[in-house]
Amino acid sequence: MLLHNVFTKTIRDLRWPTFWVALGMGAMTGYFAVLFPTYSKIVDLNSILEKMGPAAKLMGDIGDVSTLVGFLHIELFSMILPALIVTYAAGMASGFTAGEESRGTIDVLLSYPVSRSRLILEKSLAVVLGSVLAAVVVWILGIGGAAASASVLPPDRLAEALFMLVLLGLAFGAVALAISAATGNRAAAIGAAVGLMVVMYLVDALASIVDGLGAVRPLSLFHYYMGNDPLRNGISLTDAGVLAAVAVVFLILSVVIFERRDLAA
Amino acid sequence: MTAAIETHKLTKWYSHRSRGILDVDLVVETGQIFGFLGPNGAGKSTMIRLLLDLIRPTSGSAQVLGLDVHRDRLAIDRRVSYVPGELSLYSELTGRQLLTYLGNLQGGVDAVYRDKLIERLELDPDKRIKSLSRGNKQKVGLVAAFMIRPELLILDEPTAGLDPFIQLEFEHLCEEARTEGRTVFISSHQLPEVEHLCDRVGIIREGRLLAVESIAALKERALRRLEIDFGEPVGVEAFANLPGVRDLTVTDSVLRCTVMGSLDALVKAAARYEVRNLRSIDTSLEEIFMAYYGADDGAAEEVSHAAA
Repeated sequence: MLLHNVFTKTIRDLRWPTFWVALGMGAMTGYFAVLFPTYSKIVDLNSILEKMGPAAKLMGDIGDVSTLVGFLHIELFSMILPALIVTYAAGMASGFTAGEESRGTIDVLLSYPVSRSRLILEKSLAVVLGSVLAAVVVWILGIGGAAASASVLPPDRLAEALFMLVLLGLAFGAVALAISAATGNRAAAIGAAVGLMVVMYLVDALASIVDGLGAVRPLSLFHYYMGNDPLRNGISLTDAGVLAAVAVVFLILSVVIFERRDLAA
Repeated sequence: MTAAIETHKLTKWYSHRSRGILDVDLVVETGQIFGFLGPNGAGKSTMIRLLLDLIRPTSGSAQVLGLDVHRDRLAIDRRVSYVPGELSLYSELTGRQLLTYLGNLQGGVDAVYRDKLIERLELDPDKRIKSLSRGNKQKVGLVAAFMIRPELLILDEPTAGLDPFIQLEFEHLCEEARTEGRTVFISSHQLPEVEHLCDRVGIIREGRLLAVESIAALKERALRRLEIDFGEPVGVEAFANLPGVRDLTVTDSVLRCTVMGSLDALVKAAARYEVRNLRSIDTSLEEIFMAYYGADDGAAEEVSHAAA
């Protein structure tokens, strides 16, 4: 029944959202991988992008979209998958303390031998596991789809891109967690995290066409997520380190803030 | 012996809300059933949530079972259980699932004893909590609290919504806990509900602890309403300023007053005249309780309405 401790209980709470986000991201990836050869035969994707000119750059640094790798990069990894994983991680994390507070269940929970820090850490571990599970589903369906259509999709590169995707999700999830731990307001935390994601996405995308934005580009987490184009080039340890550091720092911040706060009645 | 609860100048100050508490010095001895009484908004829940470290004091300190409520939190949690006033439980779970979860968090409970509690409180443990009535939800909370056999039970308005039979069973559980040397701390805004159960009561109003008394002492200090018929008209001066006498009125030959404590002075003063009849009416603890609040006070009215 998964009711052994806060970690397993959280896995139980997250099972359906995790199932749906994994299925959604996996199905899209598998779908594109299966249909890519057909699709690229009908449409000359590179020529469309050329016609779009600078606007195409808003979809991220453009490579060769006549390959499945380039196509997935643009179609999924630059925007849709980040939006889904961030919404998932931030949505779940924002409920960890604020959800228990607004439902009023935190009084009973904390009257058992569970410290506030353990509460946050065990719940966070569950969303890490959920994100990794979702990434594994995407990997299986992506590799399966590519095999079915005999397209080239290097398994290690896909794994590396998904690793970066998970880190991006967890970084924004930790931001949402910190906001919700500080305010007890779940909606504000989700809104702020998703809003921040949109702004950071735009900053990174616009920076490739607007010179003046170059200076602020390092402030965008998308810069680290996409900078090395992991689907084509693999992981940059620096980039991964930055995302992981953001996640860890905001997790620690959440614990520190939540330990000190008066909890809502 | 270590007190079950001990606070020193415990203060929680809210700038814009009334529910704070101020300089509360409270000692609750072990092995007692202690009633923590006051009208809604007096600071009862604030006090309890401070003891549970859910909120932090502005100043002052609090110990539970001799341990610091903040520093020794987990050690306290293992030995203390709590049923909040606004009880919220994971509504998607069944009662049994919730009790399993909380039992696991506790590090295991006696399942036989837990099932006996379920039976005694007539809880249907296989219904989802969201489908339970307030009273049935309360039963889940009570089973969860008693099943760990805590050294101290902190119960915030625990009987709300319970039917009389279950309330009686709840009182037996509290008495059993006391027999085993455990302590029960019950908050209530209804004295009649807890007066037969409690050994001592503390009375809180507007955040200040007004008094802590044993029920026996409260009864000793009982107010009596007296009516004396004299054989002749008497002057009010003869009875004014007698110790313990208040609300004195004299109409011709009839004296009416309330007396707190000993009747001695009044009886001796009355003996100077011909006494034809003397009627004494014992007042309820409710009235003693209200005497603390002051009769013209809104809070007293609230208490009396709540009790009615």
